[in-house]
Amino acid sequence: MSDLKLIGKSVLRRDGPDKTTGKARYTADRQLPGMLICGILRSPHPHAKILNIDCSRAEKLPGVKAIISGKDTLGIKHGFVETPRYPPDQNILASDTVRHVGEEVAAVAAINQKVLDEALDLIEVKYEILPAVFDVVDAMNPDCEVQIHPNHPRVNEPFCNIAGKTETQWGDVEKGFSQADLICSDRFESHLRTHGYLEPQTTLADYNADGTLHLWISSMGPFVKRRKLAKALGMPYASIQIHKAYVGGAFGGKIDLFSHEYCAAALSIKTARPVKFVSSREDVFAAYRHGQPLISEIKTGLKKDGTIVAQQLRMINNAGAYKGSGVVVIFLAWAFSMIPYRVENFKYEGYSIFSNNPPRAPLRGHGAPQVRFALESHMDIIAEKLQIDPIEFRLKNARVAGEELPNRDSVHNCGLQECIQKAVLKTDFIKRRHPFPKFEKPSSLNPLKRGIGLGVSSYFGGSLIYPNSSSAIVKMADDGSVDLLTGAIEMGQGSETVLCQIVGEELQLEMADIRITSADTATTPHDIGAWISGLTYVTGNAVRQAAGSVRDKILKVAAEQLHESVANLTLENKFVFVTTDPERRISYQQIFEASVGTHRGDTIIGEGHWRTMRDEPFHPSLASTKGRWSENYAFSAQVAEVEVDTETGEIKLLKATTVHDCGFPINPQLVKGQIDGQVSLALGHAFMEDVMLKNGYTLNPTWLDYRMPLIHNVADSKDVDVITESYQAGRSFRTKEVGEGLVSAILAAIANAIYDATGLRMYSTPFSPEKVLKGLKLLRVGSKIS
Amino acid sequence: MKQALELKINGETHDLLLTPNVTLLEAIRDHVGLWGTKAGCGMGTCGACTVLLEEKPILSCITLAVECHGKEITTIEGLSEGVALSSLQEAFVRAGAVQCGYCSPGMILSGTALLRKNPRPTVADIKKALEGNLCRCTGYNTIIDAVLDAGTASSPQLDQGEKK
Repeated sequence: MSDLKLIGKSVLRRDGPDKTTGKARYTADRQLPGMLICGILRSPHPHAKILNIDCSRAEKLPGVKAIISGKDTLGIKHGFVETPRYPPDQNILASDTVRHVGEEVAAVAAINQKVLDEALDLIEVKYEILPAVFDVVDAMNPDCEVQIHPNHPRVNEPFCNIAGKTETQWGDVEKGFSQADLICSDRFESHLRTHGYLEPQTTLADYNADGTLHLWISSMGPFVKRRKLAKALGMPYASIQIHKAYVGGAFGGKIDLFSHEYCAAALSIKTARPVKFVSSREDVFAAYRHGQPLISEIKTGLKKDGTIVAQQLRMINNAGAYKGSGVVVIFLAWAFSMIPYRVENFKYEGYSIFSNNPPRAPLRGHGAPQVRFALESHMDIIAEKLQIDPIEFRLKNARVAGEELPNRDSVHNCGLQECIQKAVLKTDFIKRRHPFPKFEKPSSLNPLKRGIGLGVSSYFGGSLIYPNSSSAIVKMADDGSVDLLTGAIEMGQGSETVLCQIVGEELQLEMADIRITSADTATTPHDIGAWISGLTYVTGNAVRQAAGSVRDKILKVAAEQLHESVANLTLENKFVFVTTDPERRISYQQIFEASVGTHRGDTIIGEGHWRTMRDEPFHPSLASTKGRWSENYAFSAQVAEVEVDTETGEIKLLKATTVHDCGFPINPQLVKGQIDGQVSLALGHAFMEDVMLKNGYTLNPTWLDYRMPLIHNVADSKDVDVITESYQAGRSFRTKEVGEGLVSAILAAIANAIYDATGLRMYSTPFSPEKVLKGLKLLRVGSKIS
Repeated sequence: MKQALELKINGETHDLLLTPNVTLLEAIRDHVGLWGTKAGCGMGTCGACTVLLEEKPILSCITLAVECHGKEITTIEGLSEGVALSSLQEAFVRAGAVQCGYCSPGMILSGTALLRKNPRPTVADIKKALEGNLCRCTGYNTIIDAVLDAGTASSPQLDQGEKK
């Protein structure tokens, strides 16, 4: 590996100078001549019939250029999932019913904010208020009188408001339980959190007389966005050009098609003027999508020696008013539960339930933190009941390299065992944790209790999601430098840097000799986008192939010109030379000229494509999980060290240790950046963040009340990269996932560390001071009684 | 009624005619055309809009432009010299303290104000100075590293600022 030029090196990020000097342009930073601004009128009710929308007074207001409501749309619905089982269910603007507070009812284009605000006030909407339901248990109750949508036609069960169901099993779970020495059941709840991207939702649309709609959108991938938007607008996909803009964070929250994107576009078409929309922060909190609250019910059967013989899971998701990604998270919750450990007999049911809350979106980890919090807490509970070592218990059941998952995916170079072992060693875990049972620990007078806990997780990298492939183009310039054209979007993760490192490695170029054009639908090839954790893997491999194709052409021409065989040639710093006689050399610039002269004008362009799961026709069934899902599984073990103040209930995450198997890290500094960010997100999840909804209204729609980690809440974050043996064998581009999976095990580790410190088991997030104090009080009472 | 005012931004004087309800953030972005200053919340909770007013970091989204008449304002564009980054900007890039970059201008201005007053800050000083700037991407560790790093490096620009 030592001969690598750029791969595995902490090359500084390319966008660093632009972003630190204020030159980086985000969508909101674009102005066009004659630009109008767009605002959206939203439902003030969680559930209501729209009887009438009267825009006449608003239309007469000077400075109002156009108003649209549901009747002005084509009525084409959209959804996070658009499949035969889960057809799209959202109107771009409400037609006859609103189902959550903040649902979009009408949109206005006006010349300035003052006129816009006044116009929105002047639109008169008559509502007939309908009964609403918010709590997931109430909503699925068979006697629930509120029907938000009809039950899913293929789920015939005595529940209400079923948006979707995922169901799967293998082995014989009943038989498994009958052979168990111990059966352990637990129930965990995860609360509602939000993404917290700093850049608000923003779109700039500019419709031209030639029929082209130009757009700048704060998004996670222009091709997915374009397809959904074009369908809703009834336009040919390619008549929409989405241009590159820097993205000020997304974390899952900018992947769906949003009403404001349609509205800005439709109003630009209607007025033939540029239209810009920027959401207010209150709206981002109160009307946009958040993450996925999940209830996890677990029952596990075990042998005395810690062998898991059966496991039954039931997950319930509160999806909000539309399916959103709720019907996906119940599929993912299955996946994240089955990867790390072997379970012979398994049964899974996941329900997604409608309620009159805003619909939900993926949030970094998309179900994994909720699932791993539940399962890893459960693992520690079981270990204590069986009086076995929780680390040994995990190692006994943890997957090993080459194992086949129940869905027939292979975990290939799984480094899970090594991750657990290294995490334990690195943190001196065995020595530092308190022995079971925690209650008998002599209580000291110091109210500050320290504890240590471990969690395990696994995450996929790339699956079959539209457009199911990434392509890339590398073209040589006449001075021997190259241009990379990729649809991949830079949203902070460092994709442009990583992709250029790959090109530089293949062609032995310096970073300065590589330019990148990215995330523009007209000039760059199709790309899956920066989600499903597949960018470095899927797009990275497409880029590697494109650069490899350029390399082949360079070597062919050089071989012809130097009268040598390709095998005897070496690439270095824009030259090709004869390995045994470095004086005999030819520059890339000369190769370009020779290629044009002797290869019918070929200016040396390479293309590459990568489709993950290339032998699989489809994404697996969301309903039955049948079909293969991913070929790329990353693994991790994380250790949390916490300090609990037993007088105030406040908990501090003192240190997070992440041991991860993410394949070969192309840029260790960027990998570390992903880890630190995820630890911080998990810290917010554990202790601080909580979207408080009451009757569908967000009670805390500001950052003063929705508390995200500040610089004072920073945790010491250390990481160890487990590069499994097969990743060291010269296959330097074999990457796995590192951007999402590491929000999960650390959350579980925190919960287990709290137990280690105090004997208090957390069954729900957040681990708030109120909950901790109440729990500790109950423990004290309990121990006095016994 | 519009008011005539003079904003001295990064050493250049801009004559503007604005209604009194225009914020400094809107003046800098929409009227002067410096887009480096970011709007994250519009209510003074995230720090993305931080600029220096007479060397002090302030939240431009909750500051009225008319209050800044005749005063010296520094935005992120005023820190670099041509293509040369300031030592703190450079330290941000080197430390990996930049991801999506949306908080970076505000962070760097808060950090610059600190370093100009206190060129050798402790971690506690840095946390205090940057407590009003939210970052969702980095977890803050690398941001602290960057300020520490720039603090120990000698920088003509920072020294200059210190003399003021």
